[in-house]
Amino acid sequence: MRNNNCKLICRELDELMLGEAWSAAATEHLRECAECREFHVQQTKLRKIVGSLGTVEAPADFDFRLRARLANDSSSGPAIYWRLVRGGLVTAAMAVIVLLGVVAVRDAMRVGENIGEVARKPEVHQPVKTDQAPPPVVREDKKPDQVIAGVTNEAPPIVYKSVRRPPTDDKKRPLSSFAMSSTRASVLNGAEPAGMSTAFPIDSSVQSFTVSLEDGRGNAKTISVPTVSFGSQRIGQGGNQFAPKRDW
Amino acid sequence: MNTLTTIDELGFAPAVQQDVLEDTTSDHALLEATRSGDHDAFAELVSRYRNQITSYIYRMTNDYDGAVDLAQETFVRVYRAADRYQRSYAFSTYIYRIATNLAISELRKRKRRKLVSLTGFFQPTDGGEAKELNPPDLRPLQDLELVDTERRNAVQRAIGTLPEKYRAPLILRDVDGRSYDEIAKILETSEGTVKSRISRARGFLREKMRAYL
Repeated sequence: MRNNNCKLICRELDELMLGEAWSAAATEHLRECAECREFHVQQTKLRKIVGSLGTVEAPADFDFRLRARLANDSSSGPAIYWRLVRGGLVTAAMAVIVLLGVVAVRDAMRVGENIGEVARKPEVHQPVKTDQAPPPVVREDKKPDQVIAGVTNEAPPIVYKSVRRPPTDDKKRPLSSFAMSSTRASVLNGAEPAGMSTAFPIDSSVQSFTVSLEDGRGNAKTISVPTVSFGSQRIGQGGNQFAPKRDW
Repeated sequence: MNTLTTIDELGFAPAVQQDVLEDTTSDHALLEATRSGDHDAFAELVSRYRNQITSYIYRMTNDYDGAVDLAQETFVRVYRAADRYQRSYAFSTYIYRIATNLAISELRKRKRRKLVSLTGFFQPTDGGEAKELNPPDLRPLQDLELVDTERRNAVQRAIGTLPEKYRAPLILRDVDGRSYDEIAKILETSEGTVKSRISRARGFLREKMRAYL
């Protein structure tokens, strides 16, 4: 029956190299214990079989293939590096181009929106007289009776009221502009025939247009423009010719 | 009274020359020379270890062509990492550690791919221990050489069925004859663990090889 001593002896025999001498206690135990002796015989046989596997030789072209592999690695290393760098640069350049394109298209679309916005709401920026509008905007540090921009108190000052857009509109439309003028623009409407309006005082569809120019030294030049036909002119119902096409 | 005519008569000269010779041809010195660009030194290292490493990986993977490829990869890694090599371990320990890691990685890859060995084993689907496809022929053979060949093939196949944590220490100990201390350094584990795993591995092998013992 195996006991602790058997385990210790077997472990000792197991840890020794083949052919290595074991202790006297192990020798004594092996002489007495048939089970441990059998185990030791089998273990020794097994280790001899495993040890007989020996060393497998590398192929004859091992060195040649290794040199080729090292040479290939050393030559392909920088190439891979530069290929990656070039690829990265190309990608970055393409990203920049795409980004610039997106920004340009977005700005162009915003400019178009602003033109439509200004054309739809021209009356917002017109001057308003003080008797029809709220009192002029003055700074807080000025007294109420002070004159603004050289206008005396006797004449009611013309104040240009700037209509401030909400902050969100400013962010969306950074390219919007305001037409500031004190002269009211004439408005074309359908009541007058085309060509007789104040915007174009000559009825160009009936008579020719002749202009004489003199340069001040006796040299005169005459320019004669034949009868011009502008075709049929359509005027929008609301008087807004800058409205988008869907309003026509 | 005799007088000394040359320094060689003192008897020290051969010992000094031997020391110098050993120092310049040690693995460390060869790797130092490789680091400084000496290709012949690296070739000498390769010639020293190519058979050992190829054989070790072959015993681990049971695939000769794959073992040659992995042995080459081992030397490539040694060459590339020559600058980072530290002399705290023996060079053999260092190169065997690289080879062991490569072999274990290969075994794990195969396990993931569920590759079946062509040497007569198949992996069970229940995740248990691999079984031998062809049981050993118990009939007595006439030729003793054939018996030895059959035994070697059987033990090679049986080693191939061991779990990798038992396989590497068993091969390093019983095939390569390395010490427990060196095996522990190669496998980066304790000496006690190495002894325990080798004992378990032999127990597995004894069960599989019972017909040949």
